[in-house]
Amino acid sequence: MNAPLAYRLARRELRGGLRGFRIFLACLALGVMAIAAVGTIRASIQAGLADEGAALLGGDAVVTFTYRFAKPDEAAWMNRISEAVSETVDFRSMAVVPGDDPERGLTQVQAVDALYPLIGTVQLDPDMPLDQAFAGTDRLPGAVIERILADRLALAPGDTFRLGTQDFVLSAILESYPDNSGGSFGLGPRTLVQLDDLSDSGLLGEGTLMDSNYRLDLPEGADLAALQSEAEARFSDSGLRWRDARDGAPGVSEFVDRIGAFLVLVGLSGLAVGGVGVSAAVRAYLAGKTEVIATLKTLGATRGTIFLTYFLQIGILTVLGVGIGLIMGALVPLALSPLIAERLPIPARFTLYPAPLAEAALYGVLTAGIFTLWPLARTEQLRAATLFRDIGDGAAHLPALRYLLAIGLLLAALVGAAVWFSGTALLTLWTTGGIAAALGLLVLAALGVGWLARRFRRAARGRPTLRLALGAIGAQRGETTSVVLSLGLGLTVLAAVGQIDGNLRRSISDELPEVAPSYFFVDIQPDQIDGVRARLEEDPAVRDYEAAPMLRGIITRINDQPAAEVTDHWVLEGDRGLTYSAEPRPGTVVTDGKWWAPDHDGPPQISFSREEAEEMGLSLGDTLTVNILGRDITAEITSFRQVDFDDAGMGFILSMNPAALQGAPHSWISTVYAEPQAEAAILRDLSQAYPNITAIRIRDAIDRVLVVLGGIAAATRYGALATLVTGFLVLIGAAAAGERTRTYEAAVLKTLGAPRGRILRSFALRAALLGLSAALVALAAGMAGGWAVSTFVMETGFTPIWSNALAIVFGGVLTTLLAGLAFALRPLSAKPARVLRARE
Amino acid sequence: MSDPALSLTDVSLSLMGNAGRVDILRDISLEVARGETMGLVGPSGSGKSSLLMLMGGLETATSGRITALDTDITRMGEDALARFRRDNMGVVFQSFHLIPTMTALENVATPLELAGHRDAFDRAQAELADMGLSDRAGHYPGQLSGGEQQRVALARAAAPRPKVLLADEPTGNLDETNGAAIIDMLFGLRERHGATLILVTHAPELARRCDRILPLRDGRMDSGKAATE
Repeated sequence: MNAPLAYRLARRELRGGLRGFRIFLACLALGVMAIAAVGTIRASIQAGLADEGAALLGGDAVVTFTYRFAKPDEAAWMNRISEAVSETVDFRSMAVVPGDDPERGLTQVQAVDALYPLIGTVQLDPDMPLDQAFAGTDRLPGAVIERILADRLALAPGDTFRLGTQDFVLSAILESYPDNSGGSFGLGPRTLVQLDDLSDSGLLGEGTLMDSNYRLDLPEGADLAALQSEAEARFSDSGLRWRDARDGAPGVSEFVDRIGAFLVLVGLSGLAVGGVGVSAAVRAYLAGKTEVIATLKTLGATRGTIFLTYFLQIGILTVLGVGIGLIMGALVPLALSPLIAERLPIPARFTLYPAPLAEAALYGVLTAGIFTLWPLARTEQLRAATLFRDIGDGAAHLPALRYLLAIGLLLAALVGAAVWFSGTALLTLWTTGGIAAALGLLVLAALGVGWLARRFRRAARGRPTLRLALGAIGAQRGETTSVVLSLGLGLTVLAAVGQIDGNLRRSISDELPEVAPSYFFVDIQPDQIDGVRARLEEDPAVRDYEAAPMLRGIITRINDQPAAEVTDHWVLEGDRGLTYSAEPRPGTVVTDGKWWAPDHDGPPQISFSREEAEEMGLSLGDTLTVNILGRDITAEITSFRQVDFDDAGMGFILSMNPAALQGAPHSWISTVYAEPQAEAAILRDLSQAYPNITAIRIRDAIDRVLVVLGGIAAATRYGALATLVTGFLVLIGAAAAGERTRTYEAAVLKTLGAPRGRILRSFALRAALLGLSAALVALAAGMAGGWAVSTFVMETGFTPIWSNALAIVFGGVLTTLLAGLAFALRPLSAKPARVLRARE
Repeated sequence: MSDPALSLTDVSLSLMGNAGRVDILRDISLEVARGETMGLVGPSGSGKSSLLMLMGGLETATSGRITALDTDITRMGEDALARFRRDNMGVVFQSFHLIPTMTALENVATPLELAGHRDAFDRAQAELADMGLSDRAGHYPGQLSGGEQQRVALARAAAPRPKVLLADEPTGNLDETNGAAIIDMLFGLRERHGATLILVTHAPELARRCDRILPLRDGRMDSGKAATE
């Protein structure tokens, strides 16, 4: 191998310009751009969250307790390490506008002290200081609420509303507040009141579902990590939760991280489609270079030198394509930053971030390597003698083993990099495996389409328009494969997303309300539950109701080991609802072990959800330590039972025998299944009788979930669309490459007496048939993917979403028609004599 | 000449090239009788093939008038010309111009299908048999030798029984043996079906087999050398 010579030859060949490489560059640049842009936006959001960590928390750190306020020793420690401590309480409640027909709205109440907000500012409309807003009137304390709730309740500043038994005057609309990291993900809009003003509201009784938050203003330079360690060591079993400015919005940060990782993986499918275009471009380029290669071989160039000559050329073009993609991927988010920032509920700092650009560049280079090595390796197999006789010997040879190994290594490196960068091996392996499977399926489908076209050509005798189309599909295997692959992969992703999203929506929006309760009533005090039961039992429109005591607790230890060290499971993240009952609730299926005796008064026992227990590796006889209101209760798991969350009914992961929990302050929760026309009266009666009770309408909760779901599906769809755009580019490349062939065909057909309309119909039919084939294969693959995810991951069951399927088929046909017809005009308008004589 | 198969009156053809306007043919006037065979001869660049293309409606004259089988094709639209060729003309090229994505049989059947013949494939099969290519019917052009490809092209041109056969150097890409065979077949076809045959050729012995020879030089009829057998 003569590297300097190869370099000089490569340079000379590239002097001809980039003609023929536009699609190569566009495919690579677009794929890299999509990934770089997603990565840049993700990095911008993460940087924004990091910058604004303290503002998002409303303090340098926040200590949270569930169900209770800080105990004296906890408060003393916080006061010792802080310059100031602000206490707030968060809970859900009903905002009620009194009147003959009271309006009610679910709200997330934040009751604050005089120090609030420690960091950041509260923006009100009309503009006023918060303490002035809380001052209210001579008669009533003041409150501020978010605009969406004010609009829903038709409230304007100066109007009165009620929380529990306490009336408030609405002083202003709450425009923005510092600790709003999860604002968009809560169940209700925010209401801010002063903590002292709730003392007569009846809302903060024992067992109320509430969080107390202590925002800490720490001394300059405080070591947050050290303080967190100290807090967790000192109060390890108290249920204390610590967050600080290093990660001001952990939930949001994690959500953005996961969505970002997923979209990068979707972007990889775009890059794979781009790879098909890149490969086709390299094949076409090398096909045009066979004479040059033959001449070089005749002149004595070795196989290695020739390979290196073209490898260097493709390498230089890859660097160029990746460079263009990186520039666009970095600049597009910057250019669109005002628009993006406006739509984001969280802060973002848009600038250049090298890490996501490096990630995108790596993916781009690896993809280009995977898709170009194969055609490049085949330059070695071209023999000078056969080249002069014909362009290519037409036989399909596998590249030499070393190239196959190199391709395998590059592929492994790509998957490894994707796993490393996404941080989620399972999702990455499933996604990349899915892309590879879809590509493999599409290659087989392309071969099958060609085979079918050749087979059915006989049946099309006497219909020359159709026969011509089938003949071209069957004979031009390269174009058929390019079209089916490039269009098919984008449509597969789009079909899968459509089917998963559609089934999830159907399950949540259509089926869930049929089986789910109408309302959840929470915060029912023990002395109120009999009254609630009586109201529900006397109402014939109530089909069913359930009621259970509810506490919240954190599983802190498993078999006396810190729980987090034993396993990593969502059940251990934060506090969970738990209950107690003497006997299994109606419908409960105990799968293993034995339920305690109704009057069991011995050591505490637990019945745990079987599915979650299996995931966490729990067995009968294991002990769990649960921190409830700062008190540890250690109990043995004596039974597993089946817990069904599908119907949004009452499902407790953990239940204990009554004696273990009865003494702890708690409230009750009730689900009500009622005829729709009776719902309003039930809500009115219970709210009037028990103002502290909070009602959560399932339909409203479902709507909130659907909004979030819609956003995720839309983001994924944009990712899939980028894949489709790349696919369209490849289609255009294939159509452009086939233009010369079509021009020739049109000239011969015109000579034989075919009018242009007939030739056009044949070209259109060819494109439409290819599009239809790609779409049908994509639909099958997408539906299979959708079925798998819906059945095994989402567990929603699967019913084909036919509207999406039709759109996929229609889109596939339309896309190929557009690309095909765009390159049919020149063949149709060319003078046959000139075309044919040019080939003489 | 009464009722000629082809009639050209003051026909000129100019094309715009990179170096400006190029006059290909100038003031050509001639008539070809029905059933006549005519050889167009002349040096390279004299305009022989261009004249043949004009006769077949594959090229549009810059000026003058062309009548084929009593139809003025001079200003006919492209699609009307295509239909006219389908019903009346067969064209054979030096480079065969078979459609590469079709088998030999399909290539021959295509003009018959375009003309709406229900028995297109039976007729195409018979035509291939006449050319001695029955066993090659299912082969693609790339799988055939040059001589075989030209025989398929000839079968394709002859299958619709055209009234006019136009052949542009049909032996130009073939060796002597294959070339002679093709010429025999071409003249045999003409004799069997009585078509008018216009033949562009460089070969004097081939031209001499025609009823009339029309020499061209620099785009003009070289009337001084015109010969009639």
